[in-house]
Amino acid sequence: MKIKLKIFGYLIYQFGFREKEVTIPHSFTVGELLPFINLKKQSPMIITRNGKKIDSDDKIEDGDRIVVAPFFSGG
Amino acid sequence: MKGWTGKYLRINLSNKQIKKEEYDVEFAHKWVGGRGFAIKILWDELKAGIDPLGPENKLIVALGTLSGLTAPMSAKAVVAAKSPLTGGYGDGNIGSKAAMQLRKAGYDYLIIEGKAEKPTLLYIEDDKVELLPAEEVWGKGTYETLEILYKRYSKKVGILTIGQAGENKALYAVVRAMEGRAGGRPGMGAVMGSKNLKAIIVKGTNKEFSLADSDGLKKIGLEGLKGIRDLDKKVGWSKQGSPEILAWCNEVAALPVRNMRKTSSKDAWKIDGERLEAARVATYGCPNCSMHCGHAILDKEGHISELDYESVGMLGSNLEIFDRAQVASLNYLCDDYGIDTISAGAVLAFYADAIEQGLIQGDFKFGQAEKAKELLRKIAYREKEGDLLAQGTKKMAEKIGQGSMDFAMQVKGLEISAYNCKFIPGMALGFGTCSIGAHHKEAWIITYEIKESSRDSYGRDKAQKVIELQRIRGGLFEVLGVCRYPWIEIGWGIEHYPLYFNKATGLNWELKDFDRLADRIYALIRAFWVREIPDWNREYDIVPKIWFDPKNADTEGPIAGKVLEFDKYNQLLDHYYDIRCWDKKGIPTKQTMKELDLEKEAVELEDYVSLE
Repeated sequence: MKIKLKIFGYLIYQFGFREKEVTIPHSFTVGELLPFINLKKQSPMIITRNGKKIDSDDKIEDGDRIVVAPFFSGG
Repeated sequence: MKGWTGKYLRINLSNKQIKKEEYDVEFAHKWVGGRGFAIKILWDELKAGIDPLGPENKLIVALGTLSGLTAPMSAKAVVAAKSPLTGGYGDGNIGSKAAMQLRKAGYDYLIIEGKAEKPTLLYIEDDKVELLPAEEVWGKGTYETLEILYKRYSKKVGILTIGQAGENKALYAVVRAMEGRAGGRPGMGAVMGSKNLKAIIVKGTNKEFSLADSDGLKKIGLEGLKGIRDLDKKVGWSKQGSPEILAWCNEVAALPVRNMRKTSSKDAWKIDGERLEAARVATYGCPNCSMHCGHAILDKEGHISELDYESVGMLGSNLEIFDRAQVASLNYLCDDYGIDTISAGAVLAFYADAIEQGLIQGDFKFGQAEKAKELLRKIAYREKEGDLLAQGTKKMAEKIGQGSMDFAMQVKGLEISAYNCKFIPGMALGFGTCSIGAHHKEAWIITYEIKESSRDSYGRDKAQKVIELQRIRGGLFEVLGVCRYPWIEIGWGIEHYPLYFNKATGLNWELKDFDRLADRIYALIRAFWVREIPDWNREYDIVPKIWFDPKNADTEGPIAGKVLEFDKYNQLLDHYYDIRCWDKKGIPTKQTMKELDLEKEAVELEDYVSLE
């Protein structure tokens, strides 16, 4: 399965990239995806799938666009 | 009284009387500091209906309980007055050496009254308080003023000053401090200018403060500063700072673009956090800060311009100016003239929009950076069309008419900051109910809406969340005089702050005590507005019509076809009032004011409006 992964804010320094297509072997949940892409959940983050919120137990599907961002509180 | 000095200065610029006065422990414990002191003093000492640019207005400079002490980010002071921009309560907070020095000089707040005959400096050095001529700096921009005053008094002093915009009473002129620091969006700089007060210079030599547990506070304060620095190093927040928000707002269709008619732009990347990080030449921070947010790049003219997300969003994408050096130029000019960058961006965007709609004659289009620079100068000097622009979008729309109020992006007369809430109901409520007019500083709820709730929900939980955030951001942080950044951005737990407060004061407060104080402050601020506006009703808490207009919906992207729904927004507002126990017009009830220990104020308010 191929998914598009886009990262925002200071998380790009942890991930090492801003945007990339990732091949995952089968349908992961969000909770399984994070360690697979080497993201240690050390800071709070907001993860959306195709623009909508997604929980740790939700499954990711082929072609999904997953966006990961840190918590913000405004400028 | 531990934690507070109990002392303040009353300075009358008309008769040049300077009085050192004292306040009692009841006042300290009931209002705590910063915004709490400011609203209570303004409620008690101002009569309804005074001219905010007249001598009867009072400028309050109030420290928070932790300002100047060893606690994380404790360099904030609140500046407050009746706002010339909105006609209601106005304030801002500024991080600067002035807060640190005022603590050392031994005063918890200043009340500045009257009007000086000539341009004046207020100089405070411990017990010595003087009014001095300001001819040498009057008429100069804030950067040159700071340079001259630092040379005269040393770089160690704290300075709060205004630029030409404040001197000429542009209604959203701000108070400026070191480097690019500014505060007092609703025209606190204009209030200073109306009093012929060019700058406040503060120097203090006292280093021993009367605290309940000085060593204890020092210990946990230093641990906090170190802990925050370490967290910041770990996550890397300071690398981009607040401008990191821009790319995300573009992604989730919340970016202000083209007077907030659009929510994203294919050019947004040119001014995003990474582009600014790559161009950074300096990083500035407030005293006692371990996660400096002041990222500066060179502007087109070669000045060092200190940027933050709001300025980039409002002077950049909102004007469709995607040249980072030009955005930095506009930001620098705002700082030098002493103009609020958010309102400036909103005003210029509204102006371009109204011209484009054919509602007003003018020569300015979106994207015209050089013309924008010239317009900022005209605003600062209130010259030609600058005189209208200097009044803010609400007064502009009142004069232009022809339905332009629909797209004047303001609430209560204060321009909306850099979040396009065309389809973000909770954030729209945050703007609608912010105590000083539309400002995100009190409740920023977008992450919650996307992560915990959903964008199309108008559920009561959103109103509850806005109030929770207002209690902390508009309450706790504003009375303690500390910066809120470590909390969400870095993850420094909010539970630390009552601990710092208790060490300083010897009290035993918990977060719920700060919540109650915040509710009291919000009720009194609301009472101040109601006292000033005879026909007060809930429409003052409603966001611009254009956000409800289906014709304004995005035609593509994640929120295509969607806008706010008016009836549902009103239901959300009803939830807000219900949770706060205010009536349907948004006025605190008699019972609510009694429960918040505002019985006396409720009686006073009833001279103006009958309370439910």
